[in-house]
Parts: sequence; C-alpha cells; structure tokens
Amino acid sequence: MTATPLYFELPANLTAKKFIAKLNKQIDLQITAQQYSIKTFYDSFDWRLYNANRICEFNHSQHVSQLNLIDRTNGQLIASEKLEHISSFSQQFPAGLFRDNISPVLEMRALLPLSQLPHESYLVNIFNKDKKTVLRLVIDEYEFLNNRVQLIPLKGYEKAHIKVANILQNTLNIKPSICTVLNEALKQQGRKPKDYSSKLSIKLKPDMRADKASKLIYKHLLQAIQINEADTIADTDTEFLHDFRVAVRRTRAGLSQIKNTLPSDIVSKNAEFFAWLGQITGPTRDLDVYLLSYQHYKQSLPLTLRDDIEPLYTFLKQKQDQAQKDLSEKLKSPNYNKKLLAWEQYLNESLPKKGKAGHANQTIKELADIRIWKVYQRVLKEGGKITAQSPAEALHDLRKTCKKLRYLLEFFQSLYPQNQIKNLIKALKGFQAVLGDFQDYEIQELSIKAFSEEMMQNQTPSKTLLAMGVLVQYLDSMKCNARNHFAEQFGLFVQAKNKSTFKQLFNNKA
Amino acid sequence: MTVIATYNIKGGVGKTSTAVNLAFLAAQNNYKTLVWDLDPQGASSYYFRVKPKVKGGSKELIAGARELDGLIKATDFENLDLLPADFSFRNLDLVLDERKKPTRRLKKLLAPLTKEYDIIFLDCPPNISLLSEAIFEASELLLSPIIPTTLSLRTLEQLKKYIKDNKLKHLQLLPFFSMADRRKKMHRDIIETLAEQHPDILQSIIPYASDIERMGWERMPLGGYMKKSRSVEAYQSLWNEILDLLK
Repeated sequence: MTATPLYFELPANLTAKKFIAKLNKQIDLQITAQQYSIKTFYDSFDWRLYNANRICEFNHSQHVSQLNLIDRTNGQLIASEKLEHISSFSQQFPAGLFRDNISPVLEMRALLPLSQLPHESYLVNIFNKDKKTVLRLVIDEYEFLNNRVQLIPLKGYEKAHIKVANILQNTLNIKPSICTVLNEALKQQGRKPKDYSSKLSIKLKPDMRADKASKLIYKHLLQAIQINEADTIADTDTEFLHDFRVAVRRTRAGLSQIKNTLPSDIVSKNAEFFAWLGQITGPTRDLDVYLLSYQHYKQSLPLTLRDDIEPLYTFLKQKQDQAQKDLSEKLKSPNYNKKLLAWEQYLNESLPKKGKAGHANQTIKELADIRIWKVYQRVLKEGGKITAQSPAEALHDLRKTCKKLRYLLEFFQSLYPQNQIKNLIKALKGFQAVLGDFQDYEIQELSIKAFSEEMMQNQTPSKTLLAMGVLVQYLDSMKCNARNHFAEQFGLFVQAKNKSTFKQLFNNKA
Repeated sequence: MTVIATYNIKGGVGKTSTAVNLAFLAAQNNYKTLVWDLDPQGASSYYFRVKPKVKGGSKELIAGARELDGLIKATDFENLDLLPADFSFRNLDLVLDERKKPTRRLKKLLAPLTKEYDIIFLDCPPNISLLSEAIFEASELLLSPIIPTTLSLRTLEQLKKYIKDNKLKHLQLLPFFSMADRRKKMHRDIIETLAEQHPDILQSIIPYASDIERMGWERMPLGGYMKKSRSVEAYQSLWNEILDLLK
C-alpha cells in the first residue's frame, strides 16, 4: 500500500515559484504543469460526506477537470473521476469507485457546492539520479490563503517521500498542515463545517422562565423552516421538504404540548397556521416517499413483474411534479410570508415582565417534568390497552402520542443528564419505528390501491395493474409484519430500566 | 484481473517493447496496470528507469516471504506500476523446482493483486522452461511476437504444439507480427503466407522502426515521447484488438 500524502502550509508571502526555487537547490525537480484552476468543495446540505470523514473536491481547469474524494483523516485519495460537470445525485455519476463510495453516504441527498477557491496550481516531479520520478508535488497558490504543498508519494519510493518532507520541515522551516483547505474556505464565507443538522440541539437552563424557553425552542424551529424553505421551493432534493415538515410538526407539537406559556390568542392563531403548513406540504412529501421507495417496491415483486410496474413511476413522477408546483406557489404566496413573518416578529419581541399565560412564569424544568411525565403516562396507558384485536386507529393514536413524547424529550434534553435522556430517546425511537412502519405501509397500501384505480381510467396496461396488485399484497404483508412486532417493541420500551429512568428524571418526588 | 504474458521461445523478437507499450496504452485507458519484469536482463525495468532489484531476490519472492505488493514500484505514468526484475531471476527455474506444485506458484503469488490491478503483463524471458510453464498456468492471454522469418514459423508451431500437448485450455495464444520490415520482400511474402495459413494471427503488425529502438535512449514507452507515428498507431491497433478480446 502506498503511504498517505503529506501536506504543508507555506508561510505568508512565500510564492510557489520562490518555494520551488528554494527546493531545487536541494533536489532535482521539474515543473510539469502550471495551470489556473478552481477548486470547488461539494457536500450534501447536512454534511453527510464530512460526517463520514470524506471531502469531495472538484478541480476544474482549462485542460482537465477532476473530481476527488479524499479521506479527511489522512488525506488519502479514495476515488477520482475525470468529469466535465458535477451531477446532483449519486446515481447520476458514472459507475465506478467514486459512485460506489458516495452512494451509501449521500443516499437521496443532492451534492451541492459549498465553496470555491480559485488558485494557480503547479505540478512538480522530483527525480532520483536516473531521472526517475520518485515523488510528485502539487503546489496550490491562493489569493487569500497561505499557499499549500501536497507531497504525493509513489508506490515503492517511500524513502523519497520522507526525505523531501524532512527537507521541507527541517531545512526550509515549512510547517505541516491538515489535508484540506475546506475549513479556511468556509471561514472566508463566515461558515464552518457541520453548521446544519436536522437534529435538535437547544441549550436551555433549568431556571429559565417557561415562556422565554418556549420562545427559544420556537426560534430554533423557525430557523430550520427558513433554512430549508428556498430549496423546498426549488425541489433541490426531497430532504429539504422533509426537514421543513419536521420543523413544522415540532412547532405544532410545541404549541399543543408546552401548554400555557404563550398567550392563548397567539397559540391558537399560529396553531392554525402551522396546521395549514403541515397540510399543504403533505401531498408532495407522500409522493416523494413513494418515489424514494420505488426501487424497493420494484425489488419486492417477482422478477417477471418488475418491468411491468414502470408506468407507476411515470405516474408518480407526474403527480409529484404537479404537487411540487402547487406547494412552491403556496410557499411563495403573500399569505404564507405574512404569517411566518408575524410569527418571527412575535418571537423576537421582548417578553413582558410577567407572563400572562398560566405557566409562563414557571421554570422550564418544572414544566418540562410535568409535561414529559404526563405524556409518558399517556403512552403507557394507550400502549397497554393495545391487543392483537385493536383497530388500526388505536395504533395510529399511540403513534401520535409517542411523537409528542419524542419531541418533548428532544426540546428539553439539555435540562437532563445527557446519557440518560439519550438512552430514553433511543428506546422510544425503536418503538416508534414499528408504529411508523405500520402506519406507512397502511397508507402506502391504500394509496397504491387508489392510484391503480386512477391509472385504470388512463388505459394503463393490465399487466401494470396486476403488478400493482402484487405490490399491494406485499405492502399488506409488511404492515402485518410490523403489527406482529408491536408487543415485543412495546415490551422493550416499558421495561423496568426505562420506567425507573423516566420516574427518576421526570417524577422524582423524593 | 487479466494476466497477459508476452512470450516467445526466441529472444530479441520485441517481447519487452510489446509489454511496455501495451501496458502504457492500457494505463492510459484507465486500466490499473502492472508489468512484472520476469527477465533477469531487466529490460522493462530499464525502460521505466526502475532499478532492477528485488529485496530478497528470487528465493524469497517465490517462497512468498514478501508480499508482491511491497515490491512494486510506481512508474512515471498514472495507473502503471512495475514489479522490477532482479539478476537472481536467472535462477528462477531452480528456485521454482524446489517448490511443491512449481507451475502453480506464479498464479498463487499473483492472486492477492486481483483487487488492485485490472491487467497484469508478464514480460517473460525466452526458452521453454519450468518458469514458462508457471507463466502459462498464470496467464489468460499469451501474446507472442513473431518476426516474419521461416524460423519464426517453426517456433510458433512448437509453441502451439506445446499448448496442445499440455492441455492448456485456459490459455489463448495470440501471435502477431513484430519487427516487420516492409522493405524486405521476404518479410512481405511470409506475412502474406503465414496470415493465410494461421488465421489466428492478429491483424496488427508492429513495424521494425527506429522510433521503437529509441525507447532505450528515452527510457520510457513509445507514447511517453511520441504522440503520432506509424509505430504508435501499430501498438494502438494491437491494443484495440486485445481490448476487443477482453470485452
């Protein structure tokens, strides 16, 4: 295996040419190319590549454009493709190592440009006495950053790599650096890596006034709505709308569950507005889910039916296009903007000395304890009543209650010991997964059935309708499967260990 | 991974320049390529400016004491690596003879390189020996340059007979004309006659040309110092024929 590349940062004012001249006094070298190039970093909006220790950079010059995937921890090149332009989604890249590496990480997320750095790039070969290249150097000369040198080792010539690294450090006094200038490039834009995550991280203090804390929570959620809004309208990828909807749903749960902290007229007005937002975003999200599940649907069919279901994809795509168009119009409407702005203004208003709502002046910790304990009791009660004969509605109601509990735990997690609350959230998540699957499969089953009726009117070939019938059967079997796992997952959630943690954290009367 | 040996019982027929130039073209086509210089003379190592030296020599290499990967050297060309020759390779036959199942030895040594390389060229020394048997066992394609002379016809027939007698069914023999001098009537006549008698001979003909001889001076594959010439085109055409067989 070849050694990993080494990186150095040249001191300010040391140009590439001066550096090469200095180095040439020590070793035999040759500049093989000099070109103006633009380095563009790419990642998904939620930093999936960065989180997986990957850096994706596209070096575009007049003669060659290369996309590199680099291991962020050691600078090793993982995959490289010569490409003219960058596609948005992993499946649009040519088959090969690059696609194989990014696909499981990016999934459905689009690859978006993060930052651009124009630079002059020098490629230098270092020779041994036989004029054999034993090391390659890439020197990038930036306008606003210190220049960088990358030492690219060649297999079998590791000694030359070490020798030149020593010359740089000990003779030329040049410092090693990390493998990427991504952080510096982002800093120029006032950004930093991982500056977006769909996970909630709200820092509350236990003695904070409840109305102040709830405003802080809503502000975080509003920010998530605003951050995802433009790309939801542009339909950049499905997850902008997903995150937008989660923030809307969390706001709705907050308005109904963090009770009596804000004035009732504000709550009722905005509860209506956010319910409307949930409703108008629903159809597009549902269709996104069907399209994202399409490959899974196809795989679930016997081999002989797989091609027959193709018209369903076209049908879903047409529906999604229309739903997306309708949604975009609504999110660009004055009505939406006016209401969201009013909500923002209200959240930014300073608080009255004494809150008017019933629980406004309580500490947030007191309120959080009460609310979480109450909703937890509801989950136990509703879950305990469910038997194999219970109607589907009972499971759906329980799913909604669990969601409320989950949001409350997430809103208030900073008020409780991190390990314990994280464990409870994890346990709840496992239980929610079964309820979610049950609901999703049921809705999908009903929708595919309804679509097949609609498609029948459009003279869809009968073999497609037959394949859809088989798909409905599959979804039904998956729904039953989820239902069969309910008792086991509920049992895990209500096990003594979790019960005692819930009691200790939220109902500790001692 | 495809293993291609450039081989002929006779020496001086253009085996090394074939291995080096085709490997260069394969690498240019984005195939991860390795040349293993098995000839103790180390001509392909010389062409790539790599010292003909292998740590531990033939003994440790054949014993598997060192992984091949650790002995490989990058060439000056992207996607193209070299496993250099060593003077001790003159004893490869003897070293192989000491092993159990000697003819399967090379194949076994190459196995771990499957993931890393798409194509491996074995640049072989002349003669039929235990080493060549091991090379035949490890290779899928046996690329055999033949100079258009009557003697070459004999060696080609000997080679065919050997492959048949030893039931090397996995091995595809690919003879082609090398060092062909169109100015010589004898060369032209033999090419014509042989091509008729042996339809398995590839269409591409590598000319006898001074730009190929210059490789020794330039110490790099033809494509490294020359973009367009009759020889460049001839190797490109030969590579295209092989590529068609690989697809």
